[in-house]
Amino acid sequence: MDLEANRRLIAAALARVPGGDRAALQTVYRLTSAKLFGVALRILGERSEAEDVLQEVFVTVWRKAGDFDGNRASPMTWLIAIVRNRAIDRLRASKNNRRMDPIDDAVDVADTAPLADDALEMSEDNARLHGCLDGLAREENVALRGAFFDGNTYEDLAQRMNVPLGTMKSRIRRAMIKLKLCLEATQPAEQST
Amino acid sequence: MNEPTDDREFSADEMLAAEYALGVLDGEERAAAATRVAHERGFARIVADWEQRLSPWAAEITETAPPPDMWDRIAAALPAAPASNSGLWQSLAFWRGLTFATGALAAVCLGALVYLGTTQPTPQQGPMVAAIDGGGQRHFVASFDQARGSIAVMPASYAADATRVPELWVIPADGKPRPIGLLRADRMVTILMPHDLMPMMTQKAVLAVSLEPQGGSPTGLPTGPVIGTGKFASL
Repeated sequence: MDLEANRRLIAAALARVPGGDRAALQTVYRLTSAKLFGVALRILGERSEAEDVLQEVFVTVWRKAGDFDGNRASPMTWLIAIVRNRAIDRLRASKNNRRMDPIDDAVDVADTAPLADDALEMSEDNARLHGCLDGLAREENVALRGAFFDGNTYEDLAQRMNVPLGTMKSRIRRAMIKLKLCLEATQPAEQST
Repeated sequence: MNEPTDDREFSADEMLAAEYALGVLDGEERAAAATRVAHERGFARIVADWEQRLSPWAAEITETAPPPDMWDRIAAALPAAPASNSGLWQSLAFWRGLTFATGALAAVCLGALVYLGTTQPTPQQGPMVAAIDGGGQRHFVASFDQARGSIAVMPASYAADATRVPELWVIPADGKPRPIGLLRADRMVTILMPHDLMPMMTQKAVLAVSLEPQGGSPTGLPTGPVIGTGKFASL
């Protein structure tokens, strides 16, 4: 499958980076930059900010590629986590371009379902995550999405969904516990950590 | 799906890791969690597991091509080499990495680089040797050659850490650790001593090895656990 081949290409290129191979880093860039830029842009909302984050991320990857353990993590997961953390740090520092429009969780949330295009190449992991997300209460689902896709804090989400901060914290914590239990219950036997 | 379980089903660490990976923390809480990810392997693994759980979500995010000159900008911003090479090059790359990373330290590190080649012998003694022990283990053995201004450090029973690298420090009478360089688990490294550290290399100084993130301590002081210490004895 394409996804798997892609994953192997990224992992192989990443493995050559700690030796100082710039061409390998460029290969990683070529294979991943559109997705990583999309993630940064989704959180930050501004191209110039997302470009700065992408640059920081690849300098970090150049310096830290030796930290990547291909036996434990998928390369895209590792890279996306770096991008999200950089983007969120930048968002927190600027504070003014957060996505803060109110969320009405009574209204049907069309985008909780994967888009048709994505569904075509949806991996098994993706299907499991969505299966488990579908099992959450709608307001839990919406809160988790606001955090993941918009980089919202507890306070942002409490404001957007118009509930007290304490309610939002327990909502998200409860949702994370349910999510983990569901993913573990549906997980094919995987290597333990 | 099963209804509700409560917070007590997660340990405090598990919940903090989930919150950090999801991205809902702010301010000091987020900074504290990030520091733990950098320094605690166990906690970093819990966070990585959460990142893995949430990662399929990213499939929903539309790919967007960055501007065409983006790679050139990245290439221009790269330091000379990643910090995982070896020997003298390793310490050069290490300093460059630090110089790149932190403006405040830049002047200090450049100063150290300038002096690297101009070590001047101080009053002559024989080679000095130190065993760096801790937890009942002999981790490294160091031999300081005053005439050459270099220190050679050989791994003894040190077992490589999967994510962190051993870093050598000298702690002189004032008690403040100064970084000497990164060590390796698989072979001896020889490090040219920064000129300003030469006077500190006496029998009163303590050598220490700490575990640091790849590329070495980002702060100029030990940030990870000190696994061993030792003092010089003259041969």
